[in-house]
Amino acid sequence: MTDFYWELPSRGDGRRVASGLNTRGGFGADRPVTVATDPRPGKLGPFDELAQVIHAAELSGVDGVIAPYDPSGEESWVVAAAALRQTRHARVAVEFHPAFGTPVYAAKMSATLQRLSGGRLEWRLKVGTDPADARARGDRVTGRNRYARADEFLTVARGVWNDSEVLPGGFGGTGYDFAGNHYDVIDGGFRGILSGLPFPVVHLTGNSDEAVRLSAKHGDVHQFMLTDTGYETSARTLADRALEQGRSVRKLLRLPIIARETTDEAWARVERLWREAHPDGVSGDSRALARENSQWSGFDRLGYDQPIGLIGSYEDVARELSSFRDIDGFVLTGRPHIEELHRAGEHLLHLVDPAGRTLAGQEVHA
Amino acid sequence: MSIDFYWRIGMEGDHASLRTPRRYNRGDAGGYGPGNIAPAIRNGELDGYGYIDHMAAVAKASESAGFLGGLLPSFPMTDDPWATAAALAAETTTYRFMVAFQPGFLHPLQAARMSASLQRATGGRLVYNIISGGGGAPQLWWGDKVDHDDRYTRTSEFLDVLRGVWDGRPFDFDGRFFRTEGAALPPGLAGQPFPEVYFSGSSGAAVAAAGRHADYYLSWLEPYADLRAKFDGVREHSAKLGRTPKFAVRIDVVARHTEEAAWAEIEKGWAFVDKGAADRAAQGDSVGAARIKGWVPEHITGYRDLEVQPNVWCGFSLIRGGPAFGLVGSYEQVAERLDELRELGVDAFILAGNPHLEEAYRVGEEVLPLLQRQPLPIFGQDTP
Repeated sequence: MTDFYWELPSRGDGRRVASGLNTRGGFGADRPVTVATDPRPGKLGPFDELAQVIHAAELSGVDGVIAPYDPSGEESWVVAAAALRQTRHARVAVEFHPAFGTPVYAAKMSATLQRLSGGRLEWRLKVGTDPADARARGDRVTGRNRYARADEFLTVARGVWNDSEVLPGGFGGTGYDFAGNHYDVIDGGFRGILSGLPFPVVHLTGNSDEAVRLSAKHGDVHQFMLTDTGYETSARTLADRALEQGRSVRKLLRLPIIARETTDEAWARVERLWREAHPDGVSGDSRALARENSQWSGFDRLGYDQPIGLIGSYEDVARELSSFRDIDGFVLTGRPHIEELHRAGEHLLHLVDPAGRTLAGQEVHA
Repeated sequence: MSIDFYWRIGMEGDHASLRTPRRYNRGDAGGYGPGNIAPAIRNGELDGYGYIDHMAAVAKASESAGFLGGLLPSFPMTDDPWATAAALAAETTTYRFMVAFQPGFLHPLQAARMSASLQRATGGRLVYNIISGGGGAPQLWWGDKVDHDDRYTRTSEFLDVLRGVWDGRPFDFDGRFFRTEGAALPPGLAGQPFPEVYFSGSSGAAVAAAGRHADYYLSWLEPYADLRAKFDGVREHSAKLGRTPKFAVRIDVVARHTEEAAWAEIEKGWAFVDKGAADRAAQGDSVGAARIKGWVPEHITGYRDLEVQPNVWCGFSLIRGGPAFGLVGSYEQVAERLDELRELGVDAFILAGNPHLEEAYRVGEEVLPLLQRQPLPIFGQDTP
């Protein structure tokens, strides 16, 4: 079984490169008023469009969606709560920074979301953010200490969490104490309706030594990005470090994709976006960024947050995904999200994971 | 001028009747058993509905019964109101979500982002109920060891930062509890209406902080003379700052077609009285809880001893959790008492009753229409 997650848009959606031209979800410029405009009140709000993306993910059969931490986009807990309420099967990973608040509060909000969703909430803890974001938050914790704080954060959040049901006891805790550099709890611990729920699956990210060390201790899942130096070394270190503690951590690979019926159609799409991003034509040929095995390192030039992703026919992309033998699943994304989710769900996922996505005994034709 | 009426959501579970022991059989707060609603048992198995579905039902009932919205309170042992409001945002159309929270537990920039996203999700229907914490063991449970008066300093700083980043222009702040450099809501989220602030707290520190930040100073119900004096104090303090807060009161209501029927309801609840409840509530450093304890007589011979003035009864905390004071009487009497509070300067009400779902309809349909209102314009007369 291969796990597929889809990263949700957090600041609008559309088919263009320039974010200002993508008006779905209430970001970007206002849609022009024309004779075709319906002026009656009660039109879509920003979250109605996001809800359609979430619905598309659920219908497409992806296993989970990720609500990203994005200082310039919708707030991820609000997105995640809405997503959980709108779905029955999809897992929803909320990404947030440890400095968003206290670990007790994160655990408290999560208990509610676990209750209302039947345990489908997951966490993607973002330990590092860009310097401007850290400054804006007035975050005094820098460098390696960010990982020490994240370690405390996850320790406290798990500490107050009781997987087994504990009888209600008014305002009383269950005897959990913690006195750390960042957090203090006295007689904490969840009871009653807040107990007996599964702790959110913890995803962590990053290739640095500190990131890998944190993941070995606390992570259930580690999400790698494809880089020039590869992820394999970090992945092996993670496996070794986790094993020393008697643990194992699942590995996901994050990839933007453009997959079409034919390789040429996929490239035609890339070229249209590339021309839009470089209208003066001075940036050269998009094909120059092609790497081996359907990989392309220009996605960051088209507005994605990472350079390397996959381009090709469904068969090309499926073959490449299947070739990552040490990987347990993927975090895919593509724009516009509704259309790309349906493409992935209908044409791609079953090629990569026939055992998990076809009825037993049924032959796969593709 | 219109008066805002909210109806509380019972996040602690819903007590189906005051006539029964404190068993919260709406939702799973009191465990699963016969007669439980959401989740219920079908064919020996849980049916997949959860308490969130009951909360959705209360929100929709309040909306259709004529309330502007509802308070989602926050306690250590209950669901979280931010998560609940976000989950229910898409299921109502005009219902306002009054989210109760303590400023210490979230970074103000995070709270600003969550709020702006919720405003976008609801079309501007988020309202704040800012509480600064009751102290004692529950505060330490949350991981908060900040002292009483400092908690109000923190609340003030928190709201300064939240307002500071709201318009999307870079905001610097260097306080005792929070620091920001160039913090701002992003362009996509900025420009939403700032949520109205309901501010709670009875101490001097609270009144001082409320003077700066409250749109509505929110109090539990108290005897009317005490409430008037309390409001005068807030008014006086705010005036020095050039501000004029409005006032709101949180009131439990038992209204029936006759006065006798309403008191009969209380009498049945009195069979399950817990006389130690007021003492326990006053264990933290909450000034409001200590005030309440002062009104509960030492020796109680019966429930009518607690009627401190006509229809104003301070025994609610002895027969179910929560604040002590509420109104008990016929529909007309309760409407009259609410009108008297309006005359005393109350601009908004947060009403509640058990069970929250059915009582929302009862109070919305029977009591609210009796309130003295500005006469509605007659169609055709005022319009050209």
